[in-house]
Amino acid sequence: MIKLVKAELQKLFTTRLWWILLLVMLLLVGVFLAIFIAVAGIENNGASFPGRDTPEWAQMVWASGVQMGWIMVMVLGVVMMTSEYRYQTITGTLLTTPRRAQVVAGKLITGLVVGALFALALLVFQAIVVIPTVLISGGELDLSASHIPQISVGILVSMALYALFGIGLGALVRNQVAGIVIAVVWTYIVEPILSGIPVLQVVGKWLPGGAASALMNIDIDTGLGRPDLLPAWGGALILVAYGLLFAAVASATTVRRDIT
Amino acid sequence: MRDSAWAAAFPGFLLPRGVAEILLKDEKSAILGRDNREAMTAIEIKNLVKSFGAVKAVDDVSFRVEAGSVTGFLGPNGAGKTTTLRSLLGLVTPDSGEALVNGRPYTSLSEPLTEVGAVLEATSFHPGRTARNHLRIMCTAAGLPAERVDDALGQVGLADAANKRVGGFSLGMRQRLALASALLGRPKVYILDEPANGLDPAGIEWLRGFLRHLAYDEGAAVLVSSHVLSEVEQTVDNVVIIARGRLVRQGSLSELTSNGGEAVRVRSAKAADLAPALEAAGAQVELVDDGTLRVRGLDAEAIGQVALDRRVVLTEVTQERSDLQKVFLDLTEGR
Ligand SMILES: Nc1ncnc2c1ncn2[C@@H]1O[C@H](COP(=O)(O)OP(=O)(O)OP(=O)(O)O)[C@@H](O)[C@H]1O
Ligand SMILES: [Mg+2]
Repeated sequence: MIKLVKAELQKLFTTRLWWILLLVMLLLVGVFLAIFIAVAGIENNGASFPGRDTPEWAQMVWASGVQMGWIMVMVLGVVMMTSEYRYQTITGTLLTTPRRAQVVAGKLITGLVVGALFALALLVFQAIVVIPTVLISGGELDLSASHIPQISVGILVSMALYALFGIGLGALVRNQVAGIVIAVVWTYIVEPILSGIPVLQVVGKWLPGGAASALMNIDIDTGLGRPDLLPAWGGALILVAYGLLFAAVASATTVRRDIT
Repeated sequence: MRDSAWAAAFPGFLLPRGVAEILLKDEKSAILGRDNREAMTAIEIKNLVKSFGAVKAVDDVSFRVEAGSVTGFLGPNGAGKTTTLRSLLGLVTPDSGEALVNGRPYTSLSEPLTEVGAVLEATSFHPGRTARNHLRIMCTAAGLPAERVDDALGQVGLADAANKRVGGFSLGMRQRLALASALLGRPKVYILDEPANGLDPAGIEWLRGFLRHLAYDEGAAVLVSSHVLSEVEQTVDNVVIIARGRLVRQGSLSELTSNGGEAVRVRSAKAADLAPALEAAGAQVELVDDGTLRVRGLDAEAIGQVALDRRVVLTEVTQERSDLQKVFLDLTEGR
């Protein structure tokens, strides 16, 4: 299995997509961070945005980039699977490893690893921007009040799993463009709507994004009221369940199919 | 009936089949099969059937390929060659029948690249990846040493293009790269689907020599498909011909091409005078047109002697070879 994971990592790192996605992710997150830094402490109709020196601000910015992370790693997962079909490299892959369940398992594990690596890159980038900002603004980095450790764990786990979701989705649809469009629409439009609008949160909290927010214990009033979330352990359970579901989808759709 | 003709032509094939059946009946066949790999038939297809919806792509095809020989797998477009070869490689699941490599299904081989080298039609590569990286990934997944990559690239003449992206490769270069990937594990069984596609004449010549080298110097079993008989006729020992999913004919190349016997075409202004004399000398003569005869049973020298004795001037004496492509067409169309 280690051989297969190594081979999958080589597949990824011998093509250009991974660093393009990484760059785009960091760029977009950088834009978000800049906005958060700019609007900190501004009053608007009596409600004021938390200042840069408050733990609320730190919590808010620390969790702001993860959605971009989900999109990028899910797209990466989709491409890891669909490019095998798009370029017919699946034939060579299966000739080398004819036990298909092993191929799928190797890809899923690689997806988790790469998702986690992207999450680490995101966390390092956020630390480089956020920590100096808080300190320069005269604040103190209060780890427990800002929930940064728990949010970080949530980012790591959820991004690893979103890459795996992408692989499952890719195995299901096989068409690269369709897979990417579904992944982006889902993570960028559907999930934010379902977990952002209070009446829809009954549904949203059961989705991967809602479950990940629960795991991160994000307790921020976005102006629409506090989010309706599962407890953190419930979020973790739901996320793992989705992981297993997508893993099952990936192997079920790959193991029997005729490769012609 | 076809089967018994095959067996009569190759009595030696009866022995491994008997051995294989005994082994398969044995509960320990998996272990024995491994130890006796040399004695196993390299490639064996038994009553293979595969349909895609209403299309019967392969319909009850059986044949075998032994070590140290090259077998041409021939058939017109859509005959079912690719489907058969993909079944053999575990990429397509047959409806019924068996396709075995070294006595076992491909999917149960623990180190498949070291046993079987395959080149498939429509094998593609990621255009953004270099030739070397493509092979390196296969070596990693198969647990083969990385030095094999440059060995294989050298063998197929791609050493200079090793670090170029495959996206810029010509069709022939891709075909060579596919062949290189089959060589990585130094296997003893080769399954090649139209490997000559896209190769220039020099490339085809090189491929022929290479396949002969694999079979006769290294003792490998080579199964190579083509829809053009003339492309493989100089290379193969045996042929298996299929059309519309069904086996049409199998046997040695000489067996296939010798039916009808050799004829000599003779042209002369006095053809009508010459014919009875040739018949008297023991030939069967056919009058093609006024000045042309087709003569069987005498070679060109004997015919010339008869003509000399009769003082008949010959304007043409041509050895008529049985046109292989025509034989192939007759066999595949005539069903
Ligand atoms: N995935 C598929 N779905 C439906 N039909 C298929 C599929 N693959 C092959 N076929 C059909 O099966 C038949 C045999 O096809 P196959 O590719 O095995 O032929 P072939 O002998 O390799 O032909 P060629 O010389 O053109 O490569 C054809 O009628 C083809 O249309
Ligand atoms: Mg074909």
